[in-house]
Order: sequence, then structure tokens, then C-alpha cells
Amino acid sequence: MTPQRGNVRCATALRAVVLRGGRRTFIVAALLLVSQPKTSAQQFQYERPVSAAPTAEDVGEGYETPVVQYHPPRSMTRELIDVGVLTGALALTAWLVLGQRHRFGTLLVTIACVTYFGFYRQGCVCPIGAIQNVTLGLVDSSYALSYVAIAIFFLPLVFAVFFGRVFCGGVCPLGAIQELVALWPLQVPRRWEWWLGWLKWIYLATAIVFVVLPAAQRDFIICRFDPFVGFFRFTGPLDIMLIGAGLLLLGVLVGRPYCRYFCPYGALLSLPARIAWKAVRITPDKELDCGLCAEACPYGAIEGLRAMRATCLSCARCYKYCPREHGTATL
Amino acid sequence: MNEEPTRRDVLGHAARGAALLGMGGLIGYLIKHGSVEGAWRINVDQCVNSRLGALGVDVCDKCATTCVLALSAVRAVNDHAACGRCYICPAYFDVNSAINEEGLPSAKLCPRDAIERFEIGWVDPDDPANNYYEYVIDEVKCNGCGRCVMACKEPAGLSSIRLEVRHDLCLDCNRCSIAQVCPDDAYIREPTT
Repeated sequence: MTPQRGNVRCATALRAVVLRGGRRTFIVAALLLVSQPKTSAQQFQYERPVSAAPTAEDVGEGYETPVVQYHPPRSMTRELIDVGVLTGALALTAWLVLGQRHRFGTLLVTIACVTYFGFYRQGCVCPIGAIQNVTLGLVDSSYALSYVAIAIFFLPLVFAVFFGRVFCGGVCPLGAIQELVALWPLQVPRRWEWWLGWLKWIYLATAIVFVVLPAAQRDFIICRFDPFVGFFRFTGPLDIMLIGAGLLLLGVLVGRPYCRYFCPYGALLSLPARIAWKAVRITPDKELDCGLCAEACPYGAIEGLRAMRATCLSCARCYKYCPREHGTATL
Repeated sequence: MNEEPTRRDVLGHAARGAALLGMGGLIGYLIKHGSVEGAWRINVDQCVNSRLGALGVDVCDKCATTCVLALSAVRAVNDHAACGRCYICPAYFDVNSAINEEGLPSAKLCPRDAIERFEIGWVDPDDPANNYYEYVIDEVKCNGCGRCVMACKEPAGLSSIRLEVRHDLCLDCNRCSIAQVCPDDAYIREPTT
């Protein structure tokens, strides 16, 4: 099978003999080389001993061929449970934020969702990454886009048509991990907010371009540069983990930097959220004009004492700081 | 509070209706081409380690080195029904190593010593070369580097070892890092049946 290494060894031996100058030994060595390879002391001459796999009877002694272990992919039922949990969480967030105006309840849903979609489901497949799958499904008819990915991509968008960005507020695990570290949020100047807000559109366009590229250069950059998925999995590329850690540190002072400036799905969600049927409203009939809510909003989504539908992340923080809301909200 | 709907309300309803209709159309189009659910799989015929005619080249260990998990979700699997149960298995022994006093190659091929070898069936102690041997791959040690897969194929072996994705370990990443670097697009996403 593999006499190469043996020949190399023999050749080295031959060279050594020639250098020593012994003519007779050279002839002996040459003869040895010719009568090689079977008698070579070191080299194992491999030949396959069998031409076919023996049957259990050939082996004898009541031998049974072991079953090769096989782990089936995640079952459809469990995939459907994911879709069900997503729908339930969206509906619950909408009810808590718009109906109950309950910050603490919303926070509980956020924690439950980061546990389920983040740590249990390990962040895949998420609506943010599904942008790429859906785009690929639209441009490449040979690509098998799963029904679950379709459902997970469109459910938050459909909810946004009715209730605004409830996905961002209560369900998204990437948003939740930032929501939990937004401890001392500063107000970003309006002008900066406006300019930085364009980054997510550029990111969305870039991601789509990378998907539409021919298969050899195609890349899912939203997943590749997902800054927080490594935290859910406790493993990941070092550079991405460092970017994620940097964003989380920044997120202590600047509320949800990824959601507001980079998230391509947030860019998409802001479109149906603009025409939302119901959305977060700042106590329209019992206004105090105190402006406490605008200062409380860590995401710069309250302008002129009104919640902006496109940028409001439905976190319900403003209600918590409203003197009119205290004592009225019940879970 | 039953007031006439304002112009703003009507426009809002129309916009929402249009948005829902548009999304419905997209969903319909996508469902027409969609599959039930997919999973990452290794196409053995495409895998460079399994394919014939790739002998003598370096092993492709991308499955072991590029998975986002610390220990890759890919494992080598010995299909026992196809295994020759050889005395000297080229996937177990490093057949290029020096032979030891028992007449067997002295080194093992697996860098992680993940393959176990033992005699099976009716054993003739005087004729070890003609006994049958079981080769079992330890799922805990194996990292799917593919060296054994490469060694166990024609003409040396019977191609009973292949690489397989362990779905209990696979995170099912949307952007699988192995699929990104697989040299011959053997790492594919296929609909599960």
C-alpha cells in the first residue's frame, strides 16, 4: 500500500553504505533493495485482508452487528413549539405594554425570552438572521427555506402592524441582554441619534447584498457578526465576543446600542411600526407635561412628549416614571 | 365616543391592510418554495475525506477545527454492517509506522485515540490475523477530524467510516461555520423528512 516511506529509508541506508565505501556491502545492500519490500525489517506492508464485510454468521459465536447510533434532527413538533412560544410572547408583551402599561411584567417576559430563545434555543434561528434566509428564498428558487424560518421572520412584522415593535421590547434575546445592562442610560443628542440611525439601514443593505452574491461569495454577515449569540452559547470567535462585550459595556450608558444603531431587523420593524394600529402612547388624556417620561426613555424614542412609533422599543420604562400611572397599572 | 372615522383613521387602516396583504403575498410565494424543516448534513459522496482518489493528500479537518463548539458536533461513524473487521485496520493503525514485536504497526492513526479495537466472534488464539475485530469510535473523544475516514476507503479499506453531524450536539446555526469553509460543498442543509 504505502512503500514510499520504506523506500526513503532504504535509500538513506544505501547512501550511508556508499559513503562508507564498502563495495561488497553495497552489492549486498543493492540486492536487499531489489528483494525488498517484503523482507524489510521495519516497513509494514499493508494489504487489505478482506474484500467484503463479514456477515454476523461469518463472525460466529452469536455475534450481532451493533446498531450505528444516530441522532435525529430536532423534531417538527419542537420547532412548532418555538413558533408557539414566539407568538405567545409577542401577544403577552403587547398586552402588558399596551393594555396593562406594566413595566415589571414586561421585564419578566424579557427575562423569560432571553432564557428560552437565548440560552435554551441558543439564539438560532432568529428573525434577525432570518432576513438572510428569506432574501435567499426570494432570489434563489433552489434554496429550501423552512416554514419555521418563514413564521419566525414574519410573526414580529405582523405584530408590528398591529402593536408596534413589541418584539424588540419583550421577546428579542439580543435586545433583552442589552435591556438588562442598560443601568444608567444617557440621552444621546438628537442630531447624533438621527445620523447613527442610518447605520442599521446600511447594515441591512450590506447583508442583503452579501446574500444575493453568487454562492461562492455568499455570506450571512448578520449571523457572522452577531455580537451576543456567543454569550448565549458560552463559546464563539474571540473577536466577535470582544465586540459583544464592548457593546454590552457601552450599553450600560447608551441604551441598547445594537438595537438602535445596528439591528437590521429593527430597521425593517420600524416600517410597519409607523402605521401601527395601537402603540405606546404617553397618557394622552391625563397629560402633566412634566417630561419625566422623555428623560426616562433610554432609547431617545420620546419626542415632544410623544412616543415615536418607529423608534419606540415597547419596553414600558416610560410608564414606570409617569406620576399619573403610579398605582393604576395592575398585572 | 362613537365618532365618525377621521381621514387619518381611514388612511391608517388602508396602510395596515396593504402591509398585511403585501406580507401575505410574500409568505405565499415563500411557502410555495419552502420545505418543512432543514438540518445540516454531510453529503458523503462530496466529502473529500470519503471520496476515492484523494489518497496521499492531507486530511481535510475543517469539520473539527471550524465548528463554533469547542468540540465539534461532527463525529466519525463506523457503519458496522460495512466494516471489514480486519486484523489490521488502516483507520486504527498508522500503517506507515514501524511494526512492533506482535507484528502490528506500533502507532495508532487517531490523534485522539478515539477508536477502540477488540476481538469478536469465534477467536482462534493461534491465528490472530484471521480473527475478526470490532472497531468502535468513542463519541466523547472523537472530534470529527476525518483521518480515519480518509484511511478506510478503497483500496485500503471498505469505506465503512464516514463523517456525520450529531444533531444532539449541533447548534443548528443559521450560518454554519463548517459549511462556509467546506472545500467541496459537502456540508449542506437538507430538508428533514
